[in-house]
Amino acid sequence: MKVISVRNISKSFGRVCAVCDLSFEVEEGACFGLLGPNGAGKTTMMKMLYGRSRRETRDGGSIGVFGYDPARDELAIKYVSGVVPQENNLDDELNVFNNLVIYSKFYGLSGAVAKERIRTLLEFLELSEKAQGRIRELSGGMQRRLVIARALLNNPRLLILDEPTTGLDPQVRHLIWDKLRQLRAQGTTILLTTHYMEEAFQICDTVLIMDKGRKVLEDNPRALLRENIEAYVLEVPIVNGAPAILEAGLPAGIRLDRAEGILRFYAQDIDRLKSVVERLSGTQYYIRQSTLEDVFLKATGRALNEKQ
Amino acid sequence: MKSNSPIAYPSLAQRLFSVWYRHMRVYTKNLASNGLPPFLEPLLFLLGVGLGLGKRILGPMDGMPYIDFLGTGLLVTAAMFTAAYECTFGTFIRMEFEKVYDGMLAAPITVNNLIVGEILWAGTKGLFFTFAVLCVLIAFGIIHLPQGLLAPLVGFLTGMMFATLSLWVTSFVKTINHFNFYLTGVISPMFFFSGVVFPVTDLPQKIRFVAEIMPLTHAVRLSRAVCTSNYRPALLASLAYIAIFTTIMGIFAIRRLRRRLVS
Repeated sequence: MKVISVRNISKSFGRVCAVCDLSFEVEEGACFGLLGPNGAGKTTMMKMLYGRSRRETRDGGSIGVFGYDPARDELAIKYVSGVVPQENNLDDELNVFNNLVIYSKFYGLSGAVAKERIRTLLEFLELSEKAQGRIRELSGGMQRRLVIARALLNNPRLLILDEPTTGLDPQVRHLIWDKLRQLRAQGTTILLTTHYMEEAFQICDTVLIMDKGRKVLEDNPRALLRENIEAYVLEVPIVNGAPAILEAGLPAGIRLDRAEGILRFYAQDIDRLKSVVERLSGTQYYIRQSTLEDVFLKATGRALNEKQ
Repeated sequence: MKSNSPIAYPSLAQRLFSVWYRHMRVYTKNLASNGLPPFLEPLLFLLGVGLGLGKRILGPMDGMPYIDFLGTGLLVTAAMFTAAYECTFGTFIRMEFEKVYDGMLAAPITVNNLIVGEILWAGTKGLFFTFAVLCVLIAFGIIHLPQGLLAPLVGFLTGMMFATLSLWVTSFVKTINHFNFYLTGVISPMFFFSGVVFPVTDLPQKIRFVAEIMPLTHAVRLSRAVCTSNYRPALLASLAYIAIFTTIMGIFAIRRLRRRLVS
């Protein structure tokens, strides 16, 4: 079953097209990632799913979440979905436990059920010891986990996360990824936005790369790597002018990407890159496997947009 | 593709209650600092007037001693001020700085539910602030029970009325400092020219209609009436004014804030 189906959706702010003719579907139980730089339209797209932003009706297009249209049935969608907004908006006045209590009311949970549920969630997100703690005393990672716990209060069938791990340290990021994987294993459908390639690679079944409101690529992260980028990269920093190899011409099967201060040679075969290294004559270099980041940069181009 | 069983999200009453409940829990968290000033303020005010100013104002106003006249007006100005602050600074901070609404609107409530919940909460604060003034007035012997028991209800209506006006103002405001124009330019003048500190009949004939337009004038009339059990048909006009003002301004506020909250 399709949990989310988005067809030909557009949204403009003034003359800027935030989301342009975007279509995608999310299968039940899948983890779907919207990946793109700031200003790509990820958050706008996400907000249109639960009625926080309105799609343009001019060009047709449709959004269905569990078969409901957010323009008409936002309450039904929000009742079975949990949303983690980009910013942690916890109530500083209340302690950890009571932050969840006030949200349990929004879902109509009775006191006893809510208490039990909150205990389970705090345990799941490893916050049990902080139940009576003040919000200001929590680290950024703890606050983020508490916002995730809040989104899980009503056992959502769909969890929507806007940049769940931005600004967090590696340990917390891995912890959150681990929890998201567990949720998915329990059958929760997950949609997240991120600009970390690593995040998309780690937890998403499908990644949709967006740029300037449009879909650039969409596939399984491994397939994206396999089909859109050479397997290996040789990175050479430009120190005192470009290395001599450039004038001599490149061997076949190597693609060169010039960026500010660095040259990147891409090849399917690592031996070809090693042959380049031999001709570098002592310059620093680094050979690595390609990542989603390389796909991303190749697909979206290097130029920063005005929002970055 | 629609699910077989329709999703049974909470009822309208539950949704409004949950917004109200959130504000109530946050407000009552600091009970001492939030709950004491509503009692202290009228106490100091009446002490000052009773000890000083009141002694110099010898004649009765509208047929009552000056301190009684003023006290019965303060019942509703307290509700006005708390609702005005709650729905300007309070709402703006929740909306723009703390991003509280981003979280609340991700839960199963609509923008309409959220705003109506704000209005109900401001009404509740109005009720509480009026109750606090009532306690002080009773202690001063200005009001003799059971008179005035309906005053908190008038405070509730006053709170809701000023909540809608303030939310409408908030929908225009881009910078928090702009609220000063509203509070100093609209709310404070109302305190002085709506029959709280002197009867509106003392105003020059040419500008008396201004007092009749001001929402606070009608709240003050209701307040004095319930404190003196002086019920007369003209009060229905004031009640109707409050009901119509609250409804229309509420609709305006919801419309404009919806545009701001749903992009």
